[in-house]
Amino acid sequence: MAFILETLFTHTECFSQRRCYAAARRSEALTEPLVSKLPSGLLVASLENYSPVSKIGLFVKAGSRFETAENLGVTHILRLASNLTTKGASAFRICQGLEAAGASLSVTSSREHMVYSLDCLRDDFDGVIEYLINVTTAPDFRPWELSDLQPRVRIDKAVADQSPQIGVLEKLHEAAYKNALSNSLYCPDHMLGKISVDHLQQFFANNYTSARMALVGLGVSHAALKQVGEQFFSTRAGAGAAGAKAVYRGGELRVQSGGGLVHALLACEGAAAGSAEANAFSVLQRLLGAGPHIKRGSNITSKLSQGIAKATAQPFDATAFSATYSDSGLFGVYVISQADSAREVINAAMAQVTAVAEGRLTADDLTRAKTQLKTDYLMSLESSEALLEELGVQVLSSGAYSSPQSVIQNIDSVTSGDLVKSQASRFSSKILRLCSEDE
Amino acid sequence: MGKTADLIVVQKMTIDTLHKEAATSRLLVGFRKWYYNACGFNKIGLMRDDTINEDSDVKEAIRRLPEQVYNDRMFRVKRALDLSMKQQILPKDQWTKYEEDVHYLEPYLEEVVRERKEKEEWAKK
Repeated sequence: MAFILETLFTHTECFSQRRCYAAARRSEALTEPLVSKLPSGLLVASLENYSPVSKIGLFVKAGSRFETAENLGVTHILRLASNLTTKGASAFRICQGLEAAGASLSVTSSREHMVYSLDCLRDDFDGVIEYLINVTTAPDFRPWELSDLQPRVRIDKAVADQSPQIGVLEKLHEAAYKNALSNSLYCPDHMLGKISVDHLQQFFANNYTSARMALVGLGVSHAALKQVGEQFFSTRAGAGAAGAKAVYRGGELRVQSGGGLVHALLACEGAAAGSAEANAFSVLQRLLGAGPHIKRGSNITSKLSQGIAKATAQPFDATAFSATYSDSGLFGVYVISQADSAREVINAAMAQVTAVAEGRLTADDLTRAKTQLKTDYLMSLESSEALLEELGVQVLSSGAYSSPQSVIQNIDSVTSGDLVKSQASRFSSKILRLCSEDE
Repeated sequence: MGKTADLIVVQKMTIDTLHKEAATSRLLVGFRKWYYNACGFNKIGLMRDDTINEDSDVKEAIRRLPEQVYNDRMFRVKRALDLSMKQQILPKDQWTKYEEDVHYLEPYLEEVVRERKEKEEWAKK
């Protein structure tokens, strides 16, 4: 889901003149992320990690949930159109300028956010930030460049079609929600070629306003980032169009695909991000089993795998699925099984889930799940991409950043009572099934 | 002051006027109109940008034209080819007038040339 303008680093220079920025850290204390809100509504957050590489991300509330029925697919096109000519620089200049500085600009879009992230050497920040500014504040949608994008849209869709996991997730959201979150990340077939310059400009004007953006940086000084924010990103004031609240509805969708495997996702409505229940659902996910921790291992610790292994001897895979959005969430079980053992596998998986709902879990399981969740969270923060994303999403949704310590504390405070409570209330209400299967 | 002096003053004034007048001055417009009509392509219903020599820059600019403008251009070219085959010209009231001649291709062509120059500049570095 990301289009990446990657550029080649000239490795030869890098190794001969190494500057040890790491040396500075011994005398300075670790810094906390600084968050400030500008008068125009733009949120600026930065963390000084003394890295020689700066990472700047612009998070915009312009995900696929903000598409309307008339412009479905506009975020897909917008994501692909980010390297096209802008009012300040032509497409050629953006690409060559970034390459010359050894920087890279990439765009990722999710259901809620569009993220533009720029990596560059710390010293090149001033020269390279203008490309990010141009791309996000002044794109010049030219009709001929847009029509040249059509093949790339088709390739994206073809690649997505090859992966049943992506298909199942898209269909899950389509079945689970009535609006907003039901929009697909990819351009629907009936809109290929019909997204025009007007659609793009309107979406851009409605959603790319200062109040919906957060400018986040790692390895940059807060003052420099604030200045950039004030000067360049504050011109489009206003809150833009408000998104619709996602309305959950249960449902069942089956897609016949002629493969030998059945991919089934059974889910119910989960908790919104940041709510107390969200942590409970995350712990529950780890409890039931969220992927193997040892490569090619037998996934012993996963309750789902244990339960299903008793029901069938055929190969299968099961993981608990959890997704959180700003006003809603999904929680369930994703099961892959052979076509003829699907019934046993799904029933066994649901039996495990109801077992937890009825409170049949040991304190050991709960501690294990909490430890796994804490480890996963802290490990993910080790990588700068995940750290940037975490910082950006938190700042954009709540206006502040909660440190890993407070997140860990919240996780620790989840009790088994919370798990049972959250499960019971949700699973009794609408459940949704989704299968992609063989005949 | 004698007559020579007056002549010199008159000459100086005329030259000054010519220098001061912009391209759309009344003297030059008259000349341009005459030249436009003498070219003769307006007699078969063409505009100036229809007759431009199609090198690679122009081809790219034509590719970028909006659909309506492109269709109009194709129509005019077809009509002109038809007339030239029949060795006829349009009736005088249908000739393209100087005031109606729109240089529709110019902005696109400028952009194409600017982009090409930018690429060349960069390649030189």
